[in-house]
Amino acid sequence: MTTTTLAKPATVTGAVPGRRRGDGRVALAFLAPVLIGFAAFYVYPAVRGAWYSLTDWNLLSDPRFVGLGNYAELAGDPLFWNSLKVTAYYVVLTVGMQITIGLGLAALLHRLTRSLVLRSLLVVPWLVPNVTSALLWMWLLDANLGFLNHLLTSLGLDNQGFLTSPELAMPSVAAVNAWGATGYTTLLLYAGMLLVPPQIYEAAALDGTGEVRTFFRITLPLIRPILAFVLVVSLIDSFQLFDTVAVTTKGGPVDATRVVYYYIYEEAFTHFKMGYASALALSLVLILGLLTFVQMRLLRASRSDLA
Amino acid sequence: MKKAFTAVTALLLTAACGGGGGSADGGGVTLTYALWDDVQQGAYQQCADAFHKANPDITIKISQSAWDQYWQNLTTQMVSGGAPDVITMQASNYPQFVANGQLLDIQPMVTADKVDLSQYWPGLAGLWVKDGKRYGLPKDWDTIAIVYNVDMAKKAGVDMSGLTWNPADGGTFEKAIARLTVDANGRRGDEPGFDKTKVAVHGIVPELNDGSQGQNGWGDLAVSNGFSFIDKNPFGTRYFYDSPKLAETADWFRSLADKGYATPYDKTSSLGPDTMLNAGKGALGITGSWMIRTYLDSKSQKFAFAPLPTGPQGRKSAFNGLADVIYAGTEHKDAAWKWVKFLGSTACQDIVADNAVVFPAITSSADRALKAHKAAGRDVQLFVDEAKAPGGTFLLPVSDHGDEINQIVSTAMEEVWLGRKDARTALTAANQKVNALFSGG
Amino acid sequence: MNAAVSVSEPMSVGRRRLRRLPAWICLIVAIVISLFPLYWMLRTAITPGPELPSDNAGLLPRHPTLINFERVLGLVSRDEARAAGGSGANLSFFLYLRNSVLYTGLITCLQTIFCAMAGYAFARLRFRGRDALFNVFVAALMVPPIFTLLPNFALVKQLGWLNTYQGLVAPSLLMTPFAVFFLRQFFLGIPRDVEQAAFIDGAGPWTVFWRVVLPMTKGPLFTLALTTAVWTWNDYLWPLLVAPGEDTRVLTAALGVFLKQSPNTSPDWTGLMAGSALSVVPVLLLVVFFGRRLVDSIQFSGMKG
Repeated sequence: MTTTTLAKPATVTGAVPGRRRGDGRVALAFLAPVLIGFAAFYVYPAVRGAWYSLTDWNLLSDPRFVGLGNYAELAGDPLFWNSLKVTAYYVVLTVGMQITIGLGLAALLHRLTRSLVLRSLLVVPWLVPNVTSALLWMWLLDANLGFLNHLLTSLGLDNQGFLTSPELAMPSVAAVNAWGATGYTTLLLYAGMLLVPPQIYEAAALDGTGEVRTFFRITLPLIRPILAFVLVVSLIDSFQLFDTVAVTTKGGPVDATRVVYYYIYEEAFTHFKMGYASALALSLVLILGLLTFVQMRLLRASRSDLA
Repeated sequence: MKKAFTAVTALLLTAACGGGGGSADGGGVTLTYALWDDVQQGAYQQCADAFHKANPDITIKISQSAWDQYWQNLTTQMVSGGAPDVITMQASNYPQFVANGQLLDIQPMVTADKVDLSQYWPGLAGLWVKDGKRYGLPKDWDTIAIVYNVDMAKKAGVDMSGLTWNPADGGTFEKAIARLTVDANGRRGDEPGFDKTKVAVHGIVPELNDGSQGQNGWGDLAVSNGFSFIDKNPFGTRYFYDSPKLAETADWFRSLADKGYATPYDKTSSLGPDTMLNAGKGALGITGSWMIRTYLDSKSQKFAFAPLPTGPQGRKSAFNGLADVIYAGTEHKDAAWKWVKFLGSTACQDIVADNAVVFPAITSSADRALKAHKAAGRDVQLFVDEAKAPGGTFLLPVSDHGDEINQIVSTAMEEVWLGRKDARTALTAANQKVNALFSGG
Repeated sequence: MNAAVSVSEPMSVGRRRLRRLPAWICLIVAIVISLFPLYWMLRTAITPGPELPSDNAGLLPRHPTLINFERVLGLVSRDEARAAGGSGANLSFFLYLRNSVLYTGLITCLQTIFCAMAGYAFARLRFRGRDALFNVFVAALMVPPIFTLLPNFALVKQLGWLNTYQGLVAPSLLMTPFAVFFLRQFFLGIPRDVEQAAFIDGAGPWTVFWRVVLPMTKGPLFTLALTTAVWTWNDYLWPLLVAPGEDTRVLTAALGVFLKQSPNTSPDWTGLMAGSALSVVPVLLLVVFFGRRLVDSIQFSGMKG
């Protein structure tokens, strides 16, 4: 959400006309609650988090300063690197599914109908809490009694351990979350498509351009900004995968779904290694910061041809 | 807009304050008592009522939370300084709480009140002592047995009593499992033409996802094969997960899936063995005495219990005990001790016995529970026999770093079950990691 | 919002319909995939617990029952619940529901209003350090929440606020950087004419904001409030950590009570699905009553992107 909008030129050229310069006091009143909240629950914790990352702390006794010990440990911690790898795999899978399916559905909706009912129905899974959908899918995907396996066996196929086999577990988790998020993605993309002037489609239809061609030649290039927005939103969102894993696989089988959020959570709240967990979290901040920076550079080049 | 927001906010705030109000203590003391097993909650509520009658100034509030959340809740509560006053504790879990100074040493009170520790099953009371300090009084114990589907066994003509086992060919236990396995064409696992790719009923539904102790299967058989977990129990500092005896056992368990007698690990239901057995998709399993009611009260299938098979070193059942411990941060030490003492006395354990849910730690109460089971038509004698047999049980290992060991060993085991590594390699590597925990301090 | 945009109709209607059939089929399949899992949830919820192991394949259970809903709502005794295949665990569905509503309601209302104030200040008022401060907020957007979650937990713990409402709502009650950012962008985009008129009439920024700007911007405020509400309603990790206690437990955290009650037993699926179904009801009501606004407001953020 940030990157694309940031790329727009900021058009704040002056304060409300007819007023003197400087609204310092009024501004303070307007900003007070937010400033307090920001200082207390963002800035202060960030400083404390950085401090904790230099300590050995089990939450019960006082933190003990260990310098960069935690960072030395995490550099050689195979589980941490594995968790990053696994998270990246998940992000690629789920964002890939959401965007491809979302694009397809949005295009279908856009070219077929303006039905509000259909759109509302598509967005229902987005409203289901992740915990609920994780529990629900755990049941649907159960290796023996789950509906999906009943479906497979009735088609003469073998049943599958969707959440219990190391190969399938992560794709399954990604699919479960894609189920929840795709409706939302579709709506965002659909909204972007509505902004494309209908005359362009009329012209294409008069030229006899097919639907598929129209999609790739006209729709896709014209909705690039919204596509970039959706991409960034879903990337940021996917990195935070926790609920689904905590409910369904608990990081298993054999670390196949031990994503970074879950790993940090485990270190902090099951193993009481608050200092180490803070170091993990801060490293994640740095890694993501780097990625965002690169991403911004790349996205800056992609502006809509409409603009 | 503004008005609506203000109104809603005001409403919510009022509701929040109304709801969050503190609970008034009508004089006297209210103790919170934590347990996980909802099946036992009723029995302990009766104990609590009896206790309140005898001590009108102390009220017991039972806080039950599911096993899956129990330990997480407990750690969070301890971190926040608001853990329950008295806590149901599992032997393998308590050292980590002791290490963090969260449990109260009750030895002085035990000495002062002259609690008779010999009334408990031998071995149980000693588990709760570390460095001369005592942290708990035993409340119950459990042993392990085979649970099987009576009709299936009858149909297959399998006699479940007196089975033998060895890691090489699986003994009569494996023969029984093979016989109980049925494929989609009705052929049994020991018959020619058995199609192991299309199995309708698996002979065994093993609990493989079983932490670092394998209480419900691999641990028991490994010990009957001559394996021992740790150099000293409780509080040894060297584990022997690299033992070939354990590796053989693990390989044998894995071979069951290859032969089609058990579900491959990666296609195991996440619903647990009892669901599979209840669904009629499996014929037998290995389970603990706390599951008696779950199986014998089942409406879907008729189940019965059989003793564990006899291994090369005899029949060995894991013997595990729970205890009641006191939270070090409690504000009502004396009241909490009174309650723990009551829980550890015949007064409460007989009540638990009469409810016939678990076997109480006091020997006489355990006999009483057996009688209650018999009166209800449940044949569970073998659990007691196993516990009484000389050398027939082993205590699950209790040591520091239980939580980390659990994660290391269960991951290694998973690699074995999935066929990613052979048992010897995976377990040797795991054992090195485990023992490094102790040398690292 | 742009629902009125008409699709052009150059070809003959009949031919178009036919050619579009496969597309319609795809769309319908998508709808079915979206909704079927929820149907299956309901189907499982009306299956008697003890029969579930043998009755889990058909589209309808053999003996439909409402007992699972009754026991989730605490309408039956512990023994009856156990007989129905459930756990004897205590459940206070309405308490958890109330907690969830409070948690969501408080955060949504206050956060939206405070962030609107800040967004307006950043967009319209002039003060020293405005852009620098705003950039700090933008930078905070990039920080994954888990980094502040750990120290925030420690903070709430130190304040003695674990298992209290104040601890539950504190970190997001006043602001999130996203909300400030979103609303500032929005305020930047609206024309100044109306405000200007009010200022000429002698109104101060405070009056203008409450009397003129806010009423004019109900749409985006609703969009933001809705997104915040959905996020908060679905939130799991934070409530699980700071408020697991019975009195402050929210619905998402409460669904855990249906999980394994003791080692070796399986979860109470029928109860779980009944509880899940009930937890989805508020969401469905939202769709039924606010379908258009909901869809519009999601699309609104799409267009603003």
